[in-house]
Amino acid sequence: MSVIDLAKDQMRLRAFDGALTERLVQNPAAHGLGRLPKTVKPDATVNSICGFCGTGCSLKIHLKDGEAVNLSAQTDYPVNIGMACPKGWESLTPLAAKNRATMPLLRNEQGTQEPVSWERAMQVFVRKFKSTFDEHGSGAAAFLSTGQIVTEEMAFLGALAKLGMGILHGDGNTRQCMATAAVAYKQSFGFDAPPFSYQDFEESDVLIFVGANPCIAHPIMWQRVMLNQRRPEIIVVDPRKTETAMAATTHLPIAPKSDLTLFYGIAARLIQLELIDREYIRAHTEDFASFEVFLESHSLKRAAELSGIAYGELDRIARLIGSGKRVSFWWTMGVNQSYEGTRLAQSLINLALMTGNIGKPGTGANSITGQCNAMGSRMFSFTTSLPALRDFEKAEDRAEVAEILKIPVERFPTENSFAYNEIIDAIDRGEIKALWMVATNAGHSWINQKRFRAIRDKLDFFVVQDMYGDTETAQIADLVLPAAGWGEKDGVFINSERRIGVTRKVRKAPGQALSDFNIFRLIAHHWGCGDLFKDWQSPEAVFRILGQLSKGRPCDFSGVSGYDFLDSHGGVQWPLPDGIETFEPERRLFEDGKFYHPNSKARFLYDAPRPMPEPPDAAYPFILLTGRGTSSQWHTQTRTGTSDVLRKLYPQSPYVEINPTDAKRLRIAPEELIQVASRRGEVTVKAVILGSLQPGQVFMPMHYPETNQLTLDSFDPHSKEPSYKACAVKIIKS
Amino acid sequence: MISSTLTVEDSPIEMLLKEQGTLQTPVGVFSAKHAAGAVEPQQAQFYKQLIPLSRPGAGEQYAFKVDLDKCTGCKACVSACHSLNGLDEEETWRDVGTIHGVDLSGASYTQTVTTACHHCADPACLNGCPVLAYEKDPETGIVRHLDDQCIGCQYCVLKCPYDVPKYSKSLGIVRKCDMCQSRLAEGEAPACVQACPTEAISITLVNIAGVAEAAFLPAAPEPSYTLPTTQYVTKRTIPENVEAADLHALRPEHGHFPLALMLVLTQLSVGLYAYSIFAESALLSTQLRVAGFLTMAIGLAASTSHLGRPLGAWRAFLGLRRSWLSREIVVFGLFSQLAAAFTLAAFVDFIPAGIVAALGVGVLVIGVLGIYTSIMIYHDTQRPFWAFPITALKFFGSAVYLASSGYLLGSTLQGDASMVALSLLVLAASAKLLVEFKMLGSARHLEMTPARKTAMLLLYPLRSIMLTRFSLSAVALIAAGILWVAPSAPWLAVLVCGAALSSELLERSLFFRAVAAPKMPGGVA
Repeated sequence: MSVIDLAKDQMRLRAFDGALTERLVQNPAAHGLGRLPKTVKPDATVNSICGFCGTGCSLKIHLKDGEAVNLSAQTDYPVNIGMACPKGWESLTPLAAKNRATMPLLRNEQGTQEPVSWERAMQVFVRKFKSTFDEHGSGAAAFLSTGQIVTEEMAFLGALAKLGMGILHGDGNTRQCMATAAVAYKQSFGFDAPPFSYQDFEESDVLIFVGANPCIAHPIMWQRVMLNQRRPEIIVVDPRKTETAMAATTHLPIAPKSDLTLFYGIAARLIQLELIDREYIRAHTEDFASFEVFLESHSLKRAAELSGIAYGELDRIARLIGSGKRVSFWWTMGVNQSYEGTRLAQSLINLALMTGNIGKPGTGANSITGQCNAMGSRMFSFTTSLPALRDFEKAEDRAEVAEILKIPVERFPTENSFAYNEIIDAIDRGEIKALWMVATNAGHSWINQKRFRAIRDKLDFFVVQDMYGDTETAQIADLVLPAAGWGEKDGVFINSERRIGVTRKVRKAPGQALSDFNIFRLIAHHWGCGDLFKDWQSPEAVFRILGQLSKGRPCDFSGVSGYDFLDSHGGVQWPLPDGIETFEPERRLFEDGKFYHPNSKARFLYDAPRPMPEPPDAAYPFILLTGRGTSSQWHTQTRTGTSDVLRKLYPQSPYVEINPTDAKRLRIAPEELIQVASRRGEVTVKAVILGSLQPGQVFMPMHYPETNQLTLDSFDPHSKEPSYKACAVKIIKS
Repeated sequence: MISSTLTVEDSPIEMLLKEQGTLQTPVGVFSAKHAAGAVEPQQAQFYKQLIPLSRPGAGEQYAFKVDLDKCTGCKACVSACHSLNGLDEEETWRDVGTIHGVDLSGASYTQTVTTACHHCADPACLNGCPVLAYEKDPETGIVRHLDDQCIGCQYCVLKCPYDVPKYSKSLGIVRKCDMCQSRLAEGEAPACVQACPTEAISITLVNIAGVAEAAFLPAAPEPSYTLPTTQYVTKRTIPENVEAADLHALRPEHGHFPLALMLVLTQLSVGLYAYSIFAESALLSTQLRVAGFLTMAIGLAASTSHLGRPLGAWRAFLGLRRSWLSREIVVFGLFSQLAAAFTLAAFVDFIPAGIVAALGVGVLVIGVLGIYTSIMIYHDTQRPFWAFPITALKFFGSAVYLASSGYLLGSTLQGDASMVALSLLVLAASAKLLVEFKMLGSARHLEMTPARKTAMLLLYPLRSIMLTRFSLSAVALIAAGILWVAPSAPWLAVLVCGAALSSELLERSLFFRAVAAPKMPGGVA
């Protein structure tokens, strides 16, 4: 506005309209949307699956000249039916962050990172990995993948690293979240097959949430619970009185790590009361008899003693589980991230199996997924297994994959690779010398950071591929490869309920950032193995290859012809084999009682509970619980930390929650800065005094880098998943 | 085609970068599906039952209704409001906080609370606005902010006890929630209502007369001040002891330096004019009037610089009926005219003495009235730290304290220090310091009262400013004490003046920064 116009404007006595008012004026926006500010009126929309959590909501991206200007939640998608959480709403903001990596960064002789050309980055990348192989062999390099990139990219990364470059070891950050559920399912059902659809939230009579806080961790799943019209009993098993515990009908604030004893106690009680489905057990399961024998040494009484929950209350819940009502079990990281997580998940699976609560509406032993593409990673990343959960060690599996991929079978490793924690150990031992990390921030998220930081110095070459050049991990890398983010590329995610959905490219990547897919193409070219991947032209081409790889496997989605098919069907849950013409939008598994073991039977798996690795003692009297802080925070905050709106919605400084009794005893005032120390580290954080946790417990959210300074690197022996949730700490007043 | 380029050794990177920079045309099929003329927005199927079927009748208005039993803290409402209303990057009109406590059985109680503008029956923002930039829609009761009318004085930010109006530095104005009135007018739900996954927020019709009797929300500011219309409902019993999760957070408020400067200088100016009337020598009187005029001019210029859109400030008389800020602007406008004339009269000799005397009285009366309106501006926000007695002591105290120091300087330069000014200075400064010091005792309160919060803010985050303020006044008082025994030392009087003025500017800065500003319950800080 010119000075004269401004003066004229300001000469009005009453200004009911004008340039400022105009800024917020709304107009009908068409495209099925309501009124929208005219500044962001779209000329088209496209649907895209959200790139944060494993719920897998579909966002309707508002486009102007092909580029995203805004978004809202897709109304007619079976997952989120018109809703999204604040992270989803803010999905586009992190793309425009100032700290995006726009050029490859290479650490120079002086030890500082400097921008270099892609050409140079590729030369160094190839030379370093090749020299590592020459000096130390193929076991001396490893890659660490993620649950955050699209399936096609994960497959490309794994295939390129293992089959193209010959890297032996590779794993993903899904080791930190879903490995336990995956192993539990695989052992119990014969395949990593979460049996449910979100419809089960609505159709259940009794919902039991264990170590899960969906109100803030998966708000859109909680939406489905709230849509349940059956007046369900909602039981939350969690040491803390979380948002979900507040919203539940019953909260069991169990003593930390008394969970396995608790569920064995309930199982024993169900047998005692004969509230089990013997017919189902006989027809569809095996090993129940020995489980029954095992349970003789367990009782509800013991469970009550250990958990601190009244016997009568537990008895009521046992009777509810055995009542014949539709009972569903739901768990998240409180179960998965435990030193005995696999057996714990299976203790829930066992309860579902023995009461016949599986394969029917509103039932199931159901693992809620953390990351948007944890399942894509589990199925197709070439880390723990060959695609579609085939076995690296089986010749016929290797041959099948080799034939479909048209890659010589000799290039396939014949042994399994190390898990994440084993890769870390191997670096520590000096066996692994080069590490390539994609879309994960281990310099913040890996358990016991002091050790992680120490072993980084043992690496000769550390590559980090990420959207941001300044993550805790990128800062300690030798080479940073700038990657396009969600919204800047195409591909599919597979959500918690096995639904495959498309995410779309709606923004240009900044600077010279390339999609992970294109980075892999570039590396393949420079490595000299581009010919192996000559069919891997585009994400959709790879998607079709993956479809072929899935054929005949439990996760068969060969009936999906491509991205448009997924889009027009509201995503598709696997299985959808080729030839199926019509199918329901929401489907659950095991309705026929047939599981994926060769004899079609599910198995009962169990082990005696073990004491926690580092119980509180006189020197470290508190038990440190960890978990999600708010719905506006995502993991290590590399993305959510760039949104002004999200930043307003979570505490800015790291904090520890402490019970009022303990605070009083230690004379800690609200907001006071105190030190929390474990045997591994000491951090200064703000005290938040809350009655939602028990005396003797403290809680720190995982989003702040301070938390993993304290955690203890212990692991589940089956899933190798880190046990983030419990270690001993002490409080020191500043 | 891409792979064929890739095999060309010299260009794979350029080719991939080009591909990365190309956006596909959106899926035509999907876009076309809705272009065919959808009658109503797709989301309407969910929110239809969340908005009233009819427009408000006589004596009714629209209000937000929040079902606390359904609000679980997902905060989608905040983001959706931000995105669907096209707000600036850092701007949010909704917030989600937490209240927690212990119920009668000893169990812990936690509840998240979503909150936006309460579209009050008696809106404090509207009542305080000097330019009538707020209106309460006669039909819907929605409290609307007229963005183009706003001059960016931010008084509404201080007036609203719920921290609703948000000032945008880049726009120079305040903006706030309008309950998506243009959506409601078309039968669409507000953005927050559309976006709540658990249908915790709805729009309802309330009887305006009944608002005063309705319960509001424990741990929220006392509703009788503005009569907020939002209805918080729950089937549970909220424990009486609940407190906001951010109750103990010590976040100093905005310092508003131009306002601090304006207040201190206009008060000094009024005091100087008062001394000028009673000054023994004509020269001293003239000097005081000139000094009074200059301080007033700087003060008023500072207050104008505080405005986001100062060109519209001339409209400030519009709010005279209700707004103390409007009254202050008008009174100080008059004061400046009278003061100018009175000052000029010292330099010309054609104005009859009677008129000059009358002018002097006028300046004094209007000046005192001006200080009174300044006090009322803050008193009217209902913040205890700004209540009338303490604010009056501070503002009139500044006038006496600082003008006395000025007179002291003038009298010292002309001979000996005025003992009257010296006494008044010591009296005013001591009274102020004593009261301020006494207020710190509230830090020992058991409950986090506003008085305790102010004391805690002063003792912790603002400690160094407070100590500097006290020290400077101590310097002024000690120097004044020495003047008592050595009354002809001008440098001491200069020291008194300088120390007193800086000390008072810090006092005024603390006046703004240490106030306990009421707000809806927030989250952990």
